[in-house]
Parts: sequence; C-alpha cells; structure tokens
Amino acid sequence: MSDNGIVLAAEDGVEAAFIGWLKETLNKNIFDALLIPVGTPAGDSFAYLLLQEPAILDSASPLPPVMPVQGGKAIGRLTMRENPSKRIAAVVRPCEARAAIELSKLEQAHLDNVCLITLDCPGVLPLADYLVDPVAGAARFKEASAQWDRSPMRPTCQVCDHFSLRQAPGCDLHVGTLGCPDGTAVVVAGSSKGDHVLEQMDMGGQDEDEQADFLNTAVTDWGTQVEQVEEAQTERRRQAQEDLREEIAGAEKLLGVFSSCINCHNCQRVCPVCYCRQCYFESAALKLPAENYLARAERKGALRFSPDTLLFHIGRASHMALSCVSCGACEDACPMDIPVGQVFSLLGDRAQKALGYVAGTSLEDPLPLVSYEMDELHEVEQPYVEVYPNQEVQDA
Amino acid sequence: MEEQAFTPTIVGFLCNWCTYAAADSAGVSRFKMPPSVMVVRVMCSGRVDPLFVLTAFLLGADGVLISGCWPGQCHYQTGNLQARRRTTLLKSIFDTLGLEMGDRFRLSWISSSEAPRFVQVVKEFDKQITDLGPSPIQDELFL
Amino acid sequence: MPEGATSSAFASERLQINQGAEETVRELLRSLLESGKVNAVLALGRTGGPSGGVAYSLFRDPEAFGADGDALPLLPFMPANAGGLLSRLTLEGPVAEPVAAVVKPCELRAFIELVKLSQGNLDNILLISSTCGGVYPLDMGIDGSLEKKLPTYWERMEQGELDDDVRPTCRACESFVPEGADITVALLGEADLDTQCTLHLNTERGAAFAGDMEGTTVSGKRDSEALERSLDERKAFREELFAGVGVGLKDLIHTFGRCIGCHGCKTVCPICYCRLCYFDSQNCERPAGFYEGELARKGGLRVPSDTVYFQLGRMAHMAISCVGCGMCTDVCPADIPVSTMFSKVGAAAQAVFDYQPGRDVTEEIPLRTFEEEEFTEVAT
Repeated sequence: MSDNGIVLAAEDGVEAAFIGWLKETLNKNIFDALLIPVGTPAGDSFAYLLLQEPAILDSASPLPPVMPVQGGKAIGRLTMRENPSKRIAAVVRPCEARAAIELSKLEQAHLDNVCLITLDCPGVLPLADYLVDPVAGAARFKEASAQWDRSPMRPTCQVCDHFSLRQAPGCDLHVGTLGCPDGTAVVVAGSSKGDHVLEQMDMGGQDEDEQADFLNTAVTDWGTQVEQVEEAQTERRRQAQEDLREEIAGAEKLLGVFSSCINCHNCQRVCPVCYCRQCYFESAALKLPAENYLARAERKGALRFSPDTLLFHIGRASHMALSCVSCGACEDACPMDIPVGQVFSLLGDRAQKALGYVAGTSLEDPLPLVSYEMDELHEVEQPYVEVYPNQEVQDA
Repeated sequence: MEEQAFTPTIVGFLCNWCTYAAADSAGVSRFKMPPSVMVVRVMCSGRVDPLFVLTAFLLGADGVLISGCWPGQCHYQTGNLQARRRTTLLKSIFDTLGLEMGDRFRLSWISSSEAPRFVQVVKEFDKQITDLGPSPIQDELFL
Repeated sequence: MPEGATSSAFASERLQINQGAEETVRELLRSLLESGKVNAVLALGRTGGPSGGVAYSLFRDPEAFGADGDALPLLPFMPANAGGLLSRLTLEGPVAEPVAAVVKPCELRAFIELVKLSQGNLDNILLISSTCGGVYPLDMGIDGSLEKKLPTYWERMEQGELDDDVRPTCRACESFVPEGADITVALLGEADLDTQCTLHLNTERGAAFAGDMEGTTVSGKRDSEALERSLDERKAFREELFAGVGVGLKDLIHTFGRCIGCHGCKTVCPICYCRLCYFDSQNCERPAGFYEGELARKGGLRVPSDTVYFQLGRMAHMAISCVGCGMCTDVCPADIPVSTMFSKVGAAAQAVFDYQPGRDVTEEIPLRTFEEEEFTEVAT
C-alpha cells in the first residue's frame, strides 16, 4: 500500500461521489471502459455491464445489495483468452477481486490491463431474500450497510474477515468508507497501477500540504477502524466455523447436510474458481453401465440415484478449496438452501491454513499445489518413525 | 451529423450446391442488386443450426436468409427438408415470444441456374428489412 | 373436448383392491422385490436419516417398502425428473433384469422422449405411474412444510382437486394422466384413498407383474368425470398462466434479466441431455476482442452475456420435446418462470407439428422426420 490517496466528499453520499469520480476517469481517458454492476431494466436485480458511455453509469451501483454473478467470474469471462487491448477498471467487492486474482494465477484471467477497484464491503443479502421484494430488499440493505450491521446479510458475509484492502491487498485501488465521516471516503492505491491512476487523476491547484494532512488523518482513521472490525470479524468467523464443524463433522452428519442435494450442480456453475469447462462430475467418467449401479444398490440395500452426491461435494472441495475465496455464490445459487458456502469456507480456510496460503490476496504468491519443497509438510507423511523407531528398523 | 440512409445487414446462409452458385452467377452476370447480404457458405441448408440464426441476430444482423435447393433436389437427399422443419420451429418460437425476428428471417429455394431469382429474392428481402428498420436487438445492453 | 378424452390411456381392465393406495403401492413393490420379479425399484425415499432430505433411490431391500421403510413412492415431490434418472440408468444399454420405476406422468414422458433421442432403453423397465395431482415446489421440501401439507393434499385429491400450493406448472398441466405406463395407480378424484385402490393394468407386462395382488378384476367403462373436470380447471389455469407471460424483446429481457447464469435449468432438464451444452462450450468462451467489438458498437454490454441468447437457443434445441415438468422453474435461484416460458413456446411448437412429446415411443420426433410436401408456406 502506498501513501498515495484522495478523499472523496460529496453531499449526495459516497456512492454518488464515487460514480462521479469514475465518470471523470472515463472523461479523462484514464480508463477506456468500466466493468461495474448496473441495475437490470426490470429493476429487480443487477448485472455486470462493460461500458464506455459515462451516461450508463447513472444506473450503476458499485455496491449492489446482492451478488447475482460473482464479479471474478465476470472478469474471467472477459479476459480468459487474452489481455484486453483497452484499459478496463473493474469495480468489484473484495471477494470478487480475490477470485479474479485467483483466476489469473490459474491462467483463466488476464489482468494486465484490468484495474481492480474494490470498496469496503458490508456484505450482501441472500439472493432469494432480496428477490421476494427487491424494493424492500434494497432499503433493508441500505439501512443495514449504513450501520455496518451484517445481521441481514448472507451467512458467509456475516463472518467475512476479508472485507477491505487490508485483507485483500492485491487490489489496485480501494475505496474506504469504514470510520470515515458521513459522506466521505478515502480512495487509496494498493499497487503501482493504482498509484498511477491516482497521479493521473490529481487535480492539483490546492494547497498540497493541507491536503496531505487531511488525507493522512482520514486514512489513519479508516485504517484504525478496519483493524477493529477485522478483529471482531475474525473472532466471529472462528466461532461460527467451530460451531459449523460440530454440526457437520463425521460421515453421518455430513451426509445429513447434503441429503437434500438435488445434484443440479448450481454451486459448481456459479463458483468463480471452478473454471473447468466440463466438470469431472458431469463427464462420462461417472456415467456407468446399469450393472454398476444395481450392484451398489444390492450391496447397500438402496442406492441414492443420482449417486455420488457426497463424492461430488468433497471432490469439488478437493479441487478448489485452496482457491476458495468464501464469496458465498454457491450458497446463493443452491435451490435447496444447503449451507454449501459455509461448508466450503470452512474447508477452504483450513486447507489454506495448512499450506500457508490465502486465496486471492497476492498475484505473486505461488499456488500451493504447483509449488513444493523437498523439506516440508513432514507431518502428513506416514508416521513410520513413530511406529518403528529408527533403531528397530536398523535392527530388523 | 445528418442521419445516413439505413443499409441493412443481412446474413445469408447459402447452400454450396445451388444458391451459392446462383449468387456467384448473378455476380458474374453483373446483375444489379443491393449489397446488403453477407454470405456464409454452408454445404447444405440442412447444416444451419437454429443457433446460427440466433447468433446472427444477436450479433447485430437486421435480417437472416437461409437459401438452399428446391425440395427433391437436395445434394444430400433431404437436408433442405430438415431445414424447412427447423425454420418452421424457429418461426413458431419467435411468433410465440412476440419477437419480430420472425419477420426478419426468410427461407427461400433457389437453384444454381436461378441467378435472376436470387437477385429478386435479395431485392425483396432487402426492401422488407429496410422498411422494418434496424433490428431493435442492436441497442440492447442486457442480452 | 370429446367425452372421455382423459380415459384413452387406460386399458379396459382394472384391479380393485381393498387397501389404501399408499399401502397397495408399497405392498406391490415389496412383493415384487421379495419375489425377485424385479431387481430394484426406482422411487422417492428419505435420505440421510429422519432429518434428511428426499431423493430418488434405487431400492433393493424390500424392507424399504415396509410400513416404516425409507421409500416414499407417492410423495408429491420431485427433487429430480426421474425420466432423466432412468436415462442415466439405461444409457449404456438395457438393464439385464426388470427394474420397476414409480414416476409421475411428466417423468414418464421425459423418459420416453429420451428413449426416442437414443438416450435410454425401455427394455425391462416396469413403469408405474399415477393420475397426478401435481407436486409441491422444492422450497417446501426444505422447511418441512411439505409434510404438514400432505393431509390436505390427499383430501383434495379425493375430491378431484389440486391443492393451491402445488407448483403453478402442475396446476397448468394437461397431461396428468400417464400414457404408456404399465401400471397406473388411480389417485386423482378417487374416493377413499386410504381404504381403496384401483390399479389399471395397461399392458401385458403390467398384468404379469401385478397379477398376484389380491383384488377384484373389473372391466368396462369407467367413470372419468373427475379427470375431465380437473382437465378443464387446469386448462383454464394454463391459459391464465400463459397470458401472464410478457412477449416481445423488452419483456423477454425483463423476464430473463435477473438470470445469474448458473444454467441450472439446463442441468435439471431431462430433455437437455448433452454432456456439454453449447452454451458452456468453447464456442461461448470469447476473446476479449469480441467484447471490445461489441462495446464499440453498443457503448455497453452485459458480461457474462448470453442470457436471452442462452434461453432462446435452448428453446430452439429442446422446446419441441419439452414435457413441461417444471424442474427448470423449481431449480432457478433467481425465481424466473422458466418453465412457463418453455411450456408456452413448447406447446405452440408442438401444435405446429401435431406432436406430443413422450406420448408414444414409436412416434418420430418432428425434427427427425420430414415430407417433401409440407410446410410449403414457410419457404418463400
């Protein structure tokens, strides 16, 4: 993080000021296009729009009350094949930026010409809750987010501890609102790319020392508040995961959690880091002759059909948990209200911790499964040493 | 800036064995016709998946023409009859959904010896699309 | 509607049994498994213990159909279209020994349609279906409200009526009398469902498998007044439902605007059998230059795009075979009335070709057959 930053202030609130600032970036030709959530024509949801007309920004919403499509997925779709030739600013939530960074490391996104702009995130409402009454949902979100009250948000958002630049340091620019006086926000750079944008946007003309003092105070206040909230959120997350583990640990409990799964694979389809064009679990590998299924039914008395529900979920976790950014998109898309996002968060956190990795926080940190050392992780090796002490082995 | 006269973009899926030859012969014969048809040569009108038509429309075509051999003259026996059924299906879908793409979508039989008929079909269709104006799909951001 | 239109699917002979419908079906399936007449039964059942969910299972142990067994063969719930499951079971070839399947009429149609599409095999599959009173939405299977609803459901079934809470797709369904079932359990409009049961043995296979059941064989004309009345009610509801679907490009964008791109509708659709959908394929993974070109033309575009395109394309590929099972609406996390759209489009397209998907396994799918002299008005 650099010292570079600006203070956004407007009577109409931070959102209006930020959109005004984004319009300026287009007008000043700092970006060629923006990727940002915009209200759909029916007014009942939001979709990512790639736009170059500043006028369209009037219906944009940098922090919409829901996350119908994970922004990392949108960035992935846009840049999966090549770097765009245009300079694109993507306005996304921290977990969406982390997904984009993770995709880039998995070579499924090209971020050279993409400037990731994130905001302090209060969470999002569950999609189903919001769609019941979008107007009331938007009001509920506005009220709760103004007070940083996460109680109406999705369970994964309630215990999110990666809601700001401090915990998602891979972003290029960040809009901080926590701890800022009403109607103001700080825009700080998280990378040299972001620095460059801020330099270009520097209006100049004002007393630089005074401005710098003002900025320093604002950034310090913001940083202090972020740290405080992080501390509280980390504790909530730890507690929630501990409780969840109680509920799901053991084959029987785990089967119970996934027993109502209808095998629609929506969770996998909306997951930003599940990028396989065709999932293994939908491939021919698991389409077997009838004898196989009937033999399994005979052995167990009955075979759930479609079979392999738990194999799918655990298998998917084994493929992507190290890149899981806990965005909760899977849980939003589940028609059976299975807490799949919470389960995957738990699995992801623990797996990432075991390998000393935090998904999507840095473009440089190598992916844990493609980097390895000769001398590491001995604790998972077969404990021959304990069972047969060296001496015994030699004696034998 | 003064508004320019509307020149439609029509995507024409032309069968290699008949209409494509007719179009070629129309060109060689220097018949005058509107320049609006962008030709995609297909080996048979039966090769045209309904998705080809949809893709053309969604990428901004004002009209789509599928043209192949007369019934009974298909190089592959029945490809054109399949094309006719698919066209019927697609028109039914457009019609049910109230999409004017149905009016912008034409199936015509033109054999390789019918260069004048090709010119006539293109003229008619060009006029039809010009009268309809640009396809409204082109301005939609949320497709 | 000609008189008796709903009864054409029944054979003239039927078996009347002095036992409730639920017990009769359980008894039938238990005895089929016990006697080894069938190798397994595909039916709904509880999974993951008492607090768990409901899913289709291949039952092998007869005890599942005992009074306290896990199987729930007549539960008005559809966590998956069993037509698709039967296709998966028989995709690689027919089952060697008979397997019975308890399915709803739309699931039966889906399976027959899939067999026509070479995605399954009817050999050795004993199809047991019923006159259907609809199923409850998936949501109601989550919070336990389904269980509480069951007494009302069966009470209204006896009166020949549908509960208001069953899915709109079911309330608008005109094909609730199964065609092509080996055995049809009469449920809708049957008095005393808890003490009486009528089994229609429509095929020789059906008669052979259910012949051992104790009951009275009755023949002759059967009273189908309740079914006719239900058909009229459902037709009226269907018209209302279809009229509520906005048409035109703007409305279509409004309807599908909140699509989140999960393609769950495609995944659960029994007819969408492609292993890799065109819209998930490489063809729809576009270079950045494509988006930039569209951006230059329009000033803005949705990313990921292909919401309306996906739905229209899927319609073009499968609406002619759409059996109107409603799984797509049920599974949609964005509450889009997908099934209503597809049923409406499907019904219109099917009418053009005078085709009813899944009615008859020998009937050709319209896009695989053609005449030289037909639809001549389409080509100009």
